[in-house]
Amino acid sequence: MSARTRHRNHHQPTDDQLELRHAPTRRRLLSAGLAGGALLLTGATGCATGGAGTQDAKRLTGGTGATPTGKVTVWSWDVAAKALKRLGAAFEQAHPGTTVEVVDIGYDNAYDKITVGLGAGSGLPDILTVEGHKLPAYIGNFPNALVDLTSRAEGLKSQYPAASWRTVTDAGGQVFALPWDSGPCALFYRRDLFQQAGLDPAALATWDDYLAAGTTLKNATGRKLLILDGKQDTTFAQLLQQQGQSWFVDGKVAVATPAAERALTLLKHLVDRDLVDFENGWDGLVSGTHDGKAATTPTAAWWDGTLTTDLADLGGKFGVVPLPAFTPGGTRTSNSGGSTLCVTAQSRNPETAWAFVSHLLADKANQVSMMRQEGLFPAFLPALDDPYFQQPAPYYAGQPAMRLFAELARAIPTVERTADDSKAGDIVTTAVNQVLHNGADPGTALRSAARQIATATGRQPVS
Amino acid sequence: MSPRPATRPGRATRPGPAFGRAAVLAVLTLGAVLSLVPFAWMLIASTHSSSELFHSPPPFLPGGELLRNLAHLQETIGFGRVMLNSLGIAAVHTALSALLSAMCGYGLAKYRFRGRGLLLGVVLATMMIPLQVLLVPLFQMMASLGWIDSYQAVILPFLANSFGILLMRQGFLDFPDELLESARIDGAGELRTFYQVVLPCVRPQLGALVIFTFMGQWNSFIWPLLMLNTQENYTVPVALNTLTGLSHVDYSGLMLGSLLATLPLMLLFLLFQRQFVAGLLGGALKG
Amino acid sequence: MTSSLPVPLREPDRASAPAPAPAAAPARRRRRSPRTAAWLFAGPTAVLFTAFFAYPLAASLYQSLTARRDGVDVFVGLDQYRRMLHDPAFLHSLANTGLILAVQVPVMIGLALVLAVLLNQSWLRFRAGWRAVFFLPAITTLVAYAVVFQVLLRTDGGLADQLLQALGAGPVDWLNSPTWARISLIGSVTWRWTGYNAVILLAGLQAIGRDQYEAAALDGAGTARTYSGVILPQLRPVVLFCVITSTIGTLQLFDENYVLTRGGPGDATLTPVVYLYKVGFQQLDFGYAAAIAWVVVLIIAAVSLLQFRLYGRERRR
Repeated sequence: MSARTRHRNHHQPTDDQLELRHAPTRRRLLSAGLAGGALLLTGATGCATGGAGTQDAKRLTGGTGATPTGKVTVWSWDVAAKALKRLGAAFEQAHPGTTVEVVDIGYDNAYDKITVGLGAGSGLPDILTVEGHKLPAYIGNFPNALVDLTSRAEGLKSQYPAASWRTVTDAGGQVFALPWDSGPCALFYRRDLFQQAGLDPAALATWDDYLAAGTTLKNATGRKLLILDGKQDTTFAQLLQQQGQSWFVDGKVAVATPAAERALTLLKHLVDRDLVDFENGWDGLVSGTHDGKAATTPTAAWWDGTLTTDLADLGGKFGVVPLPAFTPGGTRTSNSGGSTLCVTAQSRNPETAWAFVSHLLADKANQVSMMRQEGLFPAFLPALDDPYFQQPAPYYAGQPAMRLFAELARAIPTVERTADDSKAGDIVTTAVNQVLHNGADPGTALRSAARQIATATGRQPVS
Repeated sequence: MSPRPATRPGRATRPGPAFGRAAVLAVLTLGAVLSLVPFAWMLIASTHSSSELFHSPPPFLPGGELLRNLAHLQETIGFGRVMLNSLGIAAVHTALSALLSAMCGYGLAKYRFRGRGLLLGVVLATMMIPLQVLLVPLFQMMASLGWIDSYQAVILPFLANSFGILLMRQGFLDFPDELLESARIDGAGELRTFYQVVLPCVRPQLGALVIFTFMGQWNSFIWPLLMLNTQENYTVPVALNTLTGLSHVDYSGLMLGSLLATLPLMLLFLLFQRQFVAGLLGGALKG
Repeated sequence: MTSSLPVPLREPDRASAPAPAPAAAPARRRRRSPRTAAWLFAGPTAVLFTAFFAYPLAASLYQSLTARRDGVDVFVGLDQYRRMLHDPAFLHSLANTGLILAVQVPVMIGLALVLAVLLNQSWLRFRAGWRAVFFLPAITTLVAYAVVFQVLLRTDGGLADQLLQALGAGPVDWLNSPTWARISLIGSVTWRWTGYNAVILLAGLQAIGRDQYEAAALDGAGTARTYSGVILPQLRPVVLFCVITSTIGTLQLFDENYVLTRGGPGDATLTPVVYLYKVGFQQLDFGYAAAIAWVVVLIIAAVSLLQFRLYGRERRR
């Protein structure tokens, strides 16, 4: 928050030379901080604990040809954990002498466990599942807590969507994880409701078209256009990414930009025209969709998994089209969700951990099998060439829905990721809710949010 | 001689008129219904599959999936095992914590020693600070002790229980010093006096403390969640938490598990409720 | 300190009431106690506190003076505390707490008092059963509480909604409109803790001797007069006890609004402890979270002190 910090952040991403000149200073600062921390630790309790590491992030040192051995533990949740268990057993067979232990820590409080473990610099397993949008904050705030995988992973860059790759790297391009699944977005719609209203979903080229269709649809069917979560909706971030930006641009706070105002104004129009059904949390979204409260769901490929399992009785009723664009001919997709696997610096067996991670995520056959069996939409681009994605899906009345997502996955706009993403995201959520629920003005709310983010992060707003 | 307040109700001699009674019963019934509705819904939800619960309106009558849900709960999270874990942890924690609280409360109430004020200050301070900010440093300590994923890491840090200490101290403050003197004149040592003369007199407070401590440990969530890393070691709330996934939530399992998890507490309260209310008011009642 | 987060947050303070501030304790004749005997009793606890809390408390205090910059904690003095003064989210959380204190606590204590008086009717049967039923909400696990209330308060088709429709009232957006979200929060906190307080108040009523009721009856007072004129004034210390514990519980409110609304929509149901959780665990801003925590401690300490004073005066009456 000091002037010095702000100054540094201001220049950091744009001026490489300055960045270089500052590097040693920062390193010295780091050691000073650690020494202070250690002093406090030993002074208070007499027991020294391992902090977040030494001067640089831990790297993989062994030769690339080394045989993996020993045990690695992975934390994950629901279907992801299932996939890990299944492929972990295969990995053990392929590499005798290795053991893969998968722990299902549940999703709801997974990040409490991960945050505390990273903050304490101890108590973590070898491999963590972290969602892409959460990872940059961890990389930035705990720079030495994860193993720097750059030497091995660098060559894989072109095999993943650039947007996914950006979530696993820091500002300098060092790689700290591999992308697992990605969340290319499209518009799921109810065929029956569109038909009833006499609307052609393929004609929804822009969000303006979408708004207009919403009113027609509501008059004809009485249903709303979409469901939003009242508490923590991700649609705003999704609409922003569609326009190629996130909370920060060139290191500066960018939540009061024209793009952000367009996105929020769109949501406000939807609410003002009574086209939004607000529900609470996951349970509300699923049950609302089941009851046909809304005719469309602008969301990611993984929604397919929920539809086909929890809403299996609605088979044949859904279709998928690309997202409407903000401007005619504009981008027709975005990203929502998607996870990564990273190796912790605490791992005693980082080589085997990396071997397992790359075996899982940089392998066409394994990625395809996770799509088929667990519904995890692969971030690994070669996997998208598999014939599976061309198949007509009975659930979507014979439409090969996954083919559309496979095409869109390559077009996801890349956005800037920073250590302050979680801070900014929290503040923006509050601002968005004030607009949608309290009727605040989008521009005013976003400018106020930008000021708060600037204070909280010591960054400048974009001018 | 015990500070136990009367547990018999003070009775109004004149019975109220019939319509008055009916009104009282009506209000009480309404209150009881409001208290019980969520539990009734838990019961109903336990007998349906998760996808049935997504229907709108949600089902209001029991379904036929109870046994299947139970089997599924056992299969996915090893419900029997985690119940035993929870019982074991809560029992050990409660026994040790109640004993320590009683001892410390006695020390604070009946002795004057250097550091007494400081200790009382620390007791009060730990009550006031939100637990959330202590998690990281406490976790660090557990990790450096190599205690992650162990039961002692769940039990030990919170054995010293501020609430319990203050409750017991209050109980002992009212204990007559003369009795201690006479026990001492009879030649009893400090410890024997404590166990044989003093403790039996604060049974209501101990009862209240046992219920509170057990309840607290039984429902305790965030600390066991942070400490326990293998499914066989999980406690009930931590295991139930894993039923909430990213894109799928096993609501039936959650409801059934939570309902079953409430039973031991209910039993405990029914058994100890007299001591509970009496003990809680040990100090407050002396107007 | 409760043994963990989701246990009733009111728990710690229940104790505070019966224990007057150390200074207020009546001077008693202490025995010629060997210091060793005192430490025999208080020692194990002192050791546990030192072992498990000295470091975390010191660490969090130090943390509150730092900010994380580029992955490193930098000492920033009181900056984090100053930040709070201009942080709308924090200020909203304080305002929300004030609102809950002003509305929820009186309503809950009032309801609890009514319940307790009704349960105290001499002719009532199965008193233990009633008592247990009313206490039940206080022992629900947080996981269950969260799911049940989400479903009950579903905007469309939830039980609360169906009830309203039966009464001919329109759909209410229980958790998404700022006003209704506050009402829902107040309602769910009240649901969870009214019975608990009623059980305590009932014990208080029962401790008032039978002769008092009889004396009032002999004087020709009706039931209502007996209560308002004779019984309730004597119940004041117990009522005050409930008020104090509920007040401190409100200042530490976390469970209910965390599971129901995460403090939203906007900041409508944000409380300081939910906010510090979000700041620390979601935004990874541990320095600021620690500073908020210590401000919460100061507020609770100030309020407790005030109420202990009142309580002490009450006891002396």
